[in-house]
Amino acid sequence: MNRDYSPKGVKFFYIYKTLAHPELAGNYVQPFTLEERLAHARQAERQLGGTIPWIVDAMDNRLKHALGDRPNSEFIMNPEGIIVRKRQWSHPAQVRKDLETLVGPVDHVTKEEDVVLNLQVPIKAPAARGVLPRLRRGKMQPLVMEPLIEPGRPPFFAKLRAEADQRLMTQGAGQLYVGFHLDPFHNAHWNNLTEPLSFELEVPEGVKIDKLRYGAPKVEVTSDADPREFLLNIEAWPEGQPIRLTVTYFACVGEESCHTVRQEYTLHRRRDEDAGGARGEGAGFWEADEFSEQLISGDTDKDGKLSRSEVRGLVLPHFETLDQDGDGLLDADELRTVSDWLNFHHKPGKPSSELKFNP
Amino acid sequence: MRFISLTLLTMVVMTIPSDVQAQKGKKDQEATFVKSSPRIGEMLPDVTVYAPEGTQISTADLRGYYTVLTFGCLT
Repeated sequence: MNRDYSPKGVKFFYIYKTLAHPELAGNYVQPFTLEERLAHARQAERQLGGTIPWIVDAMDNRLKHALGDRPNSEFIMNPEGIIVRKRQWSHPAQVRKDLETLVGPVDHVTKEEDVVLNLQVPIKAPAARGVLPRLRRGKMQPLVMEPLIEPGRPPFFAKLRAEADQRLMTQGAGQLYVGFHLDPFHNAHWNNLTEPLSFELEVPEGVKIDKLRYGAPKVEVTSDADPREFLLNIEAWPEGQPIRLTVTYFACVGEESCHTVRQEYTLHRRRDEDAGGARGEGAGFWEADEFSEQLISGDTDKDGKLSRSEVRGLVLPHFETLDQDGDGLLDADELRTVSDWLNFHHKPGKPSSELKFNP
Repeated sequence: MRFISLTLLTMVVMTIPSDVQAQKGKKDQEATFVKSSPRIGEMLPDVTVYAPEGTQISTADLRGYYTVLTFGCLT
């Protein structure tokens, strides 16, 4: 379409935004700095091999926020800058129809098979993966967290991903996922000949937690690139009172350049709406009991079952399929099967090498 | 063979209404998005973004021609 409509003066741009699904398709993680996000966009240009230029949203995600907060939305503006078309999911065939209406038809329509894209593989990890078993976590919500970024200090070779289960997010008591994922853009691997990664927590008064210092297991191979993951039980974490985390690890870039790194984060008990939904080998599963409990909270008439009017979201369109006994209500057993059904259809846990990237 | 046919028929019968509902859900979401701000007929908000090399760009600079913007990322 770019080839067909560029001669007619139409400009096409991709907008590089926060990752929709961290850990997917290359084990990419959310960038912390603008320089890192710019590197993502340059990688997207190379990896996706197209001729459409990218522009990059700022780190406060101002353009995403200004245009409705969707991961793959699409807008057409006229020469005066007025929005003349918008849709929440990109739909190239529909864009072509729009342009035929707005600008006019083209003499020759380029077909998909006429376009040769110079696709490149995602950045490869510099050391083995699959050495440590992944911690399989249910569908959790990303927390707002602030890395302490100071000029002159080493980059965040490993980046924290902090997620809370539903109970922790709403009641302050539940499970906290703490995962340190090596950022492929820094090309670093763990140095397992030294002390394993460890972190310390500073929690508000009254918070109950298993312990305040955690250490990753010793790994026998000299280096690897697997995330270091932890699941913590927390109680009585008040909203508005952050937890501070300090992590220490040893990361190497190549054989020679090794760094002892100490980095700090502030974690808030608040959902980060821009952090995306992690998917990959360890993330994005729907856990039967928790998901069932979450769904049953919509039981407004308190009969222990959900009628069609009490169901929302992903489940609603498939209500009849999931209502196995056909009584018009989803009971506890049927609700537990919902998570199996979602896991089957949405395929979380698929190794990232088997998934295609999705611009 | 008869069992397979019956199974397939059951699957089709079970799938059709759920697909119809799924399509309806998507259409409702699309309609809500289209009605949300900024609406069709309004100006593209003027914000500062970046070229991949780091140069600042104003979205106002995109005026002067028809422009198609699509959000995306590596994942």
